Amino acid sequence: MKLKLALLASTIVTGSAAMAQELTVWDWKYSDPVTAAYYDSAREAFEQMHPGVTVNFVAQPHDQYYTLLGTALASGEGPDVVLLHGGSQTTSRGADLADLSGMSEGFSGVDAFSADGATYALPLTIQGFVVYYNRALYEQAGLDPDAPPANWEALTSVCDAIIAEGSVPCFAMGNKEGFGGEFHVTLATANSFTADDYTAWAAGEMPWTDPKARAIVDLWVQMNEGGWFSRGANSTAKFMDEYEMFMRGEAAHTVGLLSDVAHWKQFDDFLMPENLGAFAFPTPGADHAALPFAGGIGWAVTAQSDEQDLAKDLVQILTDGDREAIFAVDTGALPASNAVDTSTLSSPTLSVILTLMQEHPAGMSHAIMNQAVLEEWKRQSQVLLNGDITADEAIEAMELARQSNM
Amino acid sequence: MATVGRRERKILWAASVPMALLALSCIYPLWFAINNALKDNRGYILDRFGWVNDPTFENFVTAWGRARFSEYFLNSVVVTGGAVAVLLITASLAGFALAVLRFPYRRLVFIVILASMMIPVQVVLVPFYKTIIGLGLLNTRIGLILSYTAFFLPFSVYLMAAFYAALPRELTEAARVDGARFWQVWWFVMLPLGTPALITLGILNTLYCWNDVLISLLVLQRERTLMVGITALRGEYSTNVPLLAAGIVLAAAPIVLIYLVFQRRIVAGIAAGAVKG
Amino acid sequence: MSAQRRKAIGSKAERRFAALFLLPSLLLLLIFRIIPLFWGFTLSFSENGEWIGADNYVRAVGDTNFRDSIVNTLLLLATLPIWVMLPMLLAILIHQGVPGGKLYRAVYFLPAVLSSVIVGAIFNIVLRYDGSLNAALKVIGIDAVDWLGSSSTALGSLIAVQLWSTFGMSVLIFLSGLSTVPDDIVEAARIDGARFWQRLFLIVIPSLRPIIEFVAVVTTIGVLTSMFGLIYVLTGGGPGTSTTLPEFLIWLEQGRLNRPGYAAAISMFLFSMMAGVAYLQIRIMSRNANV
Repeated sequence: MKLKLALLASTIVTGSAAMAQELTVWDWKYSDPVTAAYYDSAREAFEQMHPGVTVNFVAQPHDQYYTLLGTALASGEGPDVVLLHGGSQTTSRGADLADLSGMSEGFSGVDAFSADGATYALPLTIQGFVVYYNRALYEQAGLDPDAPPANWEALTSVCDAIIAEGSVPCFAMGNKEGFGGEFHVTLATANSFTADDYTAWAAGEMPWTDPKARAIVDLWVQMNEGGWFSRGANSTAKFMDEYEMFMRGEAAHTVGLLSDVAHWKQFDDFLMPENLGAFAFPTPGADHAALPFAGGIGWAVTAQSDEQDLAKDLVQILTDGDREAIFAVDTGALPASNAVDTSTLSSPTLSVILTLMQEHPAGMSHAIMNQAVLEEWKRQSQVLLNGDITADEAIEAMELARQSNM
Repeated sequence: MATVGRRERKILWAASVPMALLALSCIYPLWFAINNALKDNRGYILDRFGWVNDPTFENFVTAWGRARFSEYFLNSVVVTGGAVAVLLITASLAGFALAVLRFPYRRLVFIVILASMMIPVQVVLVPFYKTIIGLGLLNTRIGLILSYTAFFLPFSVYLMAAFYAALPRELTEAARVDGARFWQVWWFVMLPLGTPALITLGILNTLYCWNDVLISLLVLQRERTLMVGITALRGEYSTNVPLLAAGIVLAAAPIVLIYLVFQRRIVAGIAAGAVKG
Repeated sequence: MSAQRRKAIGSKAERRFAALFLLPSLLLLLIFRIIPLFWGFTLSFSENGEWIGADNYVRAVGDTNFRDSIVNTLLLLATLPIWVMLPMLLAILIHQGVPGGKLYRAVYFLPAVLSSVIVGAIFNIVLRYDGSLNAALKVIGIDAVDWLGSSSTALGSLIAVQLWSTFGMSVLIFLSGLSTVPDDIVEAARIDGARFWQRLFLIVIPSLRPIIEFVAVVTTIGVLTSMFGLIYVLTGGGPGTSTTLPEFLIWLEQGRLNRPGYAAAISMFLFSMMAGVAYLQIRIMSRNANV
């Protein structure tokens, strides 16, 4: 690592004249107090490497982030370095981003930021979905907390027992912004999609009438009609109403994340580590349950930046082992850099997750699909929960959306 | 109000009950914000409605320091103050011209100004941003001041024009015939006469500028205004409600204060302006 | 030149000063609003820098989400009478000396001061399925309703919250209008034996007509262009499309879906819709301003 930095530093020293330079960085994380150490450390390392160059971190409001970024890039006055979500949010902006493929060694989850042989961002975190359960509520319903459901039949009987016990819903569900439905796309396909399926799915070539795509809708309806979800899901925000419900012990399960929020670390804090467990989501007919994950968020250099080399150095620092370790420990994220020693992050639930990730990895189908089609599914998932339409009508609407967004 | 009949008194008392409930609902958010600003995040998640148990001022400290509200506050004051001043002057000038002076295409000019009120911000987002960049106004306070003026001007011009037009004819005619010294007429006659409308506009525009997020986000990207700072506190996933509430309390306090102080002036000013013809 | 004509166009000095006085306003509007509007119009014929002709408009016509957003807008506009009548009634009651009126006048304005972020956060908690409104209804024996989550009540709830957060402003405007209603006429009617309601409908309300029109105009502009904040926090446009307004759709297309050209085309529809409403309003406003 040290050698690499030294090499880089020497190229820069010869390459650029000393003058007042500035890099502008846009993200939506900088304003979060828990990220302070990460940013301070990155700034310090960068300014040591390039004395006289200042880094200006700007946290944009997340709800306006992509609107602003699109406006700024369209005007040719965008920032130098930007934070992006993996999947189509990055790949659809490929034309505006610099290719970082020469720097992408030593990371997991690079695929989420790559398209057509180019890598547009270096991943900071790994994101994925896992089912967290409340062990105390399992015991209360007469279930064995050490034997979480491994297949669909087992999950069904667990939910039956929880519902029969009657005090809490089986799954906390928040679908106000359609995130419940969005996550479900990945859960319902993680056990059935092959590598070819993922490619077809990303290209929008798999019709919604295909049994593997149909299963998304059918399973959603089945879970809803079985009474598995908490009431009022369409007015409950997944972030964080659903998760707060789980943290208060008011639901037996929740589909949570691996990074950012709603992860093992946060749940450990609220429920205590001995009350928390995790398993991968099983689906009907699957012989094992896979854990879907991919690159979560990553740093990119804009193509229009006048300071390509400086910006790339900054991205390198923002994603190096030291920095990602700070980010991981402070925010509870899973780091994407392989240089980070994850043994410093410890929790019984995390070891379950890490094992699952090694044994049965799967892709995140919601993140690679066409955004407009995904938005349509979010809408359909809401009206399906309300029982306003049937599964067949939803499939028809989804197929229409797929065809008009090819 | 002279004598009120007993029957009417009954009606008014009966009406006062739902009105009091409505008033309570208007105070509730302020109580909610202050109460929760004093909790820590964990305390908020575990009990959202209850009274705060052991109040902490940590959130205010974080908001003022780490979230750099002290800087944002100054920015907001400068930009809002500047924009309101420019707005009142330009609107008063234009309103005077439209309502009192006689010139060709007067109606057309008025209609163009009114029509530009109907252009939603979203419609002009990208071109507006490019204009700001083209004029070298990006990241300048003057740029934001001019933008605010442009966006809130049509309504202000309309109100000033309507106000001046409603003044007694003799007053305005005299001002007009007095010829050539229009500057003095505007400064010594129209501006003082327009005080009630100017105060109302001053308050409304202060509110708009102070609470704006979108325009400010586009124009001032380095030094931000308070509301942008607050919106940025809202994370991608989680909102730290107590911290957000502390920010809201800090940001709303000056506006509430201004309103409460000037409240009498608005009504008194309007009463004085209601010249019976 | 006849005297009449000279009066209409004013003296040379008068015209010159009029132009001078209007110059700052017109310049600002031209640079920051009118030119960008035409610029945006040209953007709507392209996507990602490519000229695609009227494709974006064709797409919009066939887009069910866009059509739903128009229907929602019409539903919203249909509630306009409530937005005007309720504040008027409140203002009249305060003006008539309702007990506690001075306090109400001060307090009603408070929601208008708060940004939509906090208003949204609070009503989220009040209106959710396990929220305080349903808890209160349970006490009087009414079943829980998913106010923001069911397709039949979401739009109504959203409108109610927006109404709550803006009515105070309208009350203020009506109050200022009421102070211009000549007291002696009202008093004379009272002495003639006119009842409260008669005085209200025969004298007070007719004399408020310009204010009523003014509030209607301001409210229409407000609901068509400034509900994004609440939609985002309260419903996210759902369930389905039941609270998707054009404004929200523009945001979605421009940002998350990265289709600025299509967003510009929807913007143009929104503008022409507003222009239709605007035509009526301009007529009303220019009459009221006596111009």
